[in-house]
Amino acid sequence: MKKSIGFLLSILMILAVFSTPLSAAGQQDSNPDAKELVYWSMWNETEPQAMVLKDAIKEFEKSNPDVKVTIQWNGREIRKTLQPALDAGTEIDIWDEDLERIVKTWQPYALKLDDYYGQSYPSTNGKSFEDTVMKSLQAHLKTLSTDKGLYAVPYQPYVVSVFYNKDHFDKAGITSTPTNWDEFLAVCSKLKAAGFTPVTIDDAYMDLPLGMHLNRKFGNPDAVEALVKDRSGKLWDDPKVLETAKEFEALAKGGYMSEQVATNKWPAGQQEVATDQVSIYFLNGTWLPNEVMGTTGPDFKWGQFAYPAVPNGAGAGAGTFGAQGFQINKDCAAPDAAFALAAHLTSGKWDQELSANTFGAPMDTSMEWPVQIKESAAIFASLKSFVPWSGGLAADPDAFPIVKAEFTRLLAGQVTAEEFIANIKSNL
Amino acid sequence: MKLFNKNTIKKIPSYGILSLWVLFTAVLIGWIMIASLSTTREIFTNTLLKSGVHFSNYTKALINHNVGQYFLNSLLYTFSAGFSILIISAPCAYVLARFEFKGNKLIQNLFVGSLGVPIIMIILPLFALASQLRMTNSRILLIILYICITTPFTVFFLLSFFKTLSTSFEEAAAIDGCSPIRTFWTIMFPLAQPGLITVGIFNFIALWNEYFIALVFANTSEQRPLAVGLMTMIQSMRYTGDWAGMFAAVVIVFVPTFLLYIFLSEKIIAGVTGGAIKG
Amino acid sequence: MKQSKSMMVLFLTPALVTFATVFIYPIIRTVFMSFYYVKTVTDSFGKWEFVGFGNYGKLMASSMFIQSLKNLGNIWLWGGIGVFLIAILFSMILTSGVKGKSFYRAAIYLPNVVSAIAMATMWIQYAFNSKYGLFFQFFSFLGMDNAAAFQWTSPDNQFYAMLIAYSFGMVGYYVLIFMAGIEKIPSDYYEAAKLEGANMFHQFRHITIPLMTDVFRTSIVMWSISTVAFFIWSQVFSPLDPDVGTIVPMVYMYNLVFGRNLTLTDPTLLNAGAGAAVGVLMTLLVLLTFSMVNLVFRDKKLEF
Repeated sequence: MKKSIGFLLSILMILAVFSTPLSAAGQQDSNPDAKELVYWSMWNETEPQAMVLKDAIKEFEKSNPDVKVTIQWNGREIRKTLQPALDAGTEIDIWDEDLERIVKTWQPYALKLDDYYGQSYPSTNGKSFEDTVMKSLQAHLKTLSTDKGLYAVPYQPYVVSVFYNKDHFDKAGITSTPTNWDEFLAVCSKLKAAGFTPVTIDDAYMDLPLGMHLNRKFGNPDAVEALVKDRSGKLWDDPKVLETAKEFEALAKGGYMSEQVATNKWPAGQQEVATDQVSIYFLNGTWLPNEVMGTTGPDFKWGQFAYPAVPNGAGAGAGTFGAQGFQINKDCAAPDAAFALAAHLTSGKWDQELSANTFGAPMDTSMEWPVQIKESAAIFASLKSFVPWSGGLAADPDAFPIVKAEFTRLLAGQVTAEEFIANIKSNL
Repeated sequence: MKLFNKNTIKKIPSYGILSLWVLFTAVLIGWIMIASLSTTREIFTNTLLKSGVHFSNYTKALINHNVGQYFLNSLLYTFSAGFSILIISAPCAYVLARFEFKGNKLIQNLFVGSLGVPIIMIILPLFALASQLRMTNSRILLIILYICITTPFTVFFLLSFFKTLSTSFEEAAAIDGCSPIRTFWTIMFPLAQPGLITVGIFNFIALWNEYFIALVFANTSEQRPLAVGLMTMIQSMRYTGDWAGMFAAVVIVFVPTFLLYIFLSEKIIAGVTGGAIKG
Repeated sequence: MKQSKSMMVLFLTPALVTFATVFIYPIIRTVFMSFYYVKTVTDSFGKWEFVGFGNYGKLMASSMFIQSLKNLGNIWLWGGIGVFLIAILFSMILTSGVKGKSFYRAAIYLPNVVSAIAMATMWIQYAFNSKYGLFFQFFSFLGMDNAAAFQWTSPDNQFYAMLIAYSFGMVGYYVLIFMAGIEKIPSDYYEAAKLEGANMFHQFRHITIPLMTDVFRTSIVMWSISTVAFFIWSQVFSPLDPDVGTIVPMVYMYNLVFGRNLTLTDPTLLNAGAGAAVGVLMTLLVLLTFSMVNLVFRDKKLEF
């Protein structure tokens, strides 16, 4: 009996110790003018992005002594926890995630920022904020929202492209990057002749080449979405689909794909490139060099080119791009401070810091991109239209994994182009 | 039972199979430990420890990743829930075991039936309820949920245990003028200690490794228990390409449980078998 | 014995209250919810939209949900058979008087106490890796290049890889249970059998199996319950979005209710009502298994 009382007491004590900081947090402010901003971050505390953001926020608090920012590092789990927390009335003033997701999913919770974009901030050098943000991203932001408004502040832009090892290209005597599919196959053949394994990719990005290729073929993402949503299987009989499959089949038949491609669990494939075993990573975002920096070191000679134009299809003018973005709660008590913080984090000094520390792209168009992704800057600038992530294939969560699995088999040479289509049709 | 005990030669295959299995486990865990001391490049080029031992992976994981906090959380959740479950379940089990009343059988059946209810059958309303009560940001909520979800099993287990205890204790106490409530707490509850320990250990392991409820309800890094915290760490190390650090995180989570297990394995095993055979 | 009303109320209430909060109320609400279109799980009842069996129809029309049921069934059946056979073998060996019994028992049970996240990570990032993995190196060492080149995590094999890894960890638990069951069988049964000239196999067939019926029944029920809750392994084996080979109902439901990982998440795909329907179907599945197990084992209950 005494024991159990002892246990109970100790439990209560532990509980008391743990719950105090939680309940006391709200009452500490003695300054009545103090504004508290709660920022829910998509980053984990140790990531390079988080470290830069942490420093940037510290500086912001110094120059705005009346604002206190509380950061909660959620990591990518924020995708699942943010909305329930907002629904539950948790105080969250500003949050970030993928630009497309935050606008499409959380617009109803977000503040419309059009007015704020027109003003200037300390970090914008006298220009209006609008003039520091890439025009392509602003236009993109507007198309994502339901009322053509600006519901987020983008940062860390990215573009999807084909990554390659420049040393391998040099050794194989390849002088220019391929612009169409035939040239791409020729490059692969030269690499193979020089003793390299030409191409690899991971399960995590497997859907990108297929989506991009189909987009080039059909010329627009809607056709790809319709294809993947088609339960009758009729659209899969389109000769363009077979052409696409044949073109990938050629890649497998030529022996250009890594033998590991079917079994690659991310990041096994990108490590194949990072450890010099394979020359080309089929498609990835500008973050790739940073993700494998631990293996490659900073001196690895990265190159990028846009996904090639495909036979009987559109040119290379369409591509996938995006950014991370901050969003501000429409119920935020101090929206001015919140936007000032977002501007502080995404323009001027901290934009550069973030780019330098993560080997990522900067927001400011006048800035140089890090050397590892320099060629992506030109690709980004040349893009004429937007292709959604995986080209629209992900629009149907039921069909998507099936298509992805079959495409993996196709790339690995385990099925023919005809079997690829037949299998998808029978599994849908 | 001495089924195979004719001579030792006959047992060689037995030892072989057992040793292979155990060796496999050891290699699996051993490789992770070595990998956690190497660099990421060495892991992916299959040249572990080529450049010597890197303890920095551990300092990185420990200092930057709040592993200590995750540990404290797991301890708090498992212990406070674990003990409260016993305090709530034992009296209920006792009453159900000793007293006959209308509805006794019904309650017992309800409790048994709830053992078969999958967590996804109840998680959504609980989440909605917690949101309405604005409790999604508290550790107490997780503890309460753990208590509530584990209570039926514990009652069910202790019920059969109390049935095995002789009624002579209560009769003697009643003659001495001791009230039934007092009798329970001073005599019967301590007498039930073996059963309480068994079911307590069973619950402890289940709660220590619990993942799904914590994933849904522990929204902040300060509230995450080890299992969910480890997942967060792993994800973060992957995005930064720090695979050596990721394996270090795995080892950090693994080692204390492993040490505890070495010292307590007999007790734990007894708890598990007791719990399962009765349950 | 004297019955005390106040004591009964006092002792029963806390447990009954906890029970009502997490079981009775949620079960009723989940069943209701499964007949409504509910966009987010936190929506109040006023926003629910009655759709009858619409959610169930949607699930049945979803190839991924059907796939998740197939995977679940295969885990239950093949994983169950594998785990039970190996566990029976080990428990018989361990109860046959081998030296170091408690060491082996503890070592075999070990994977159960380690966080499943850690175990799954070891398997996928090391054991199954096709460049430096355990199986790769083992078979290369033996000179079996074909076996070494086996693509464990390709779309064709991913499910089996996951199943093997999961089952490996589960064996220890059932070894403990079967050992306890075997040790409860009085040894004179075997001695009597031996006197009558029964060989080992006969003893196993006619003594061990019948006397273990109760243990098997409990174990099958336990296995079913833990299979329905299959989640972590699927998440670790497909950390971004579920693949054909790794999807299970709980992951399907989680994505349906809380959103998918893919960048291009269409918010209109969220449907907590259908998530509730998954829960209801899983509960029915467990009930079905229970009654089947009871039917099969009905006349075989042996007390000893």
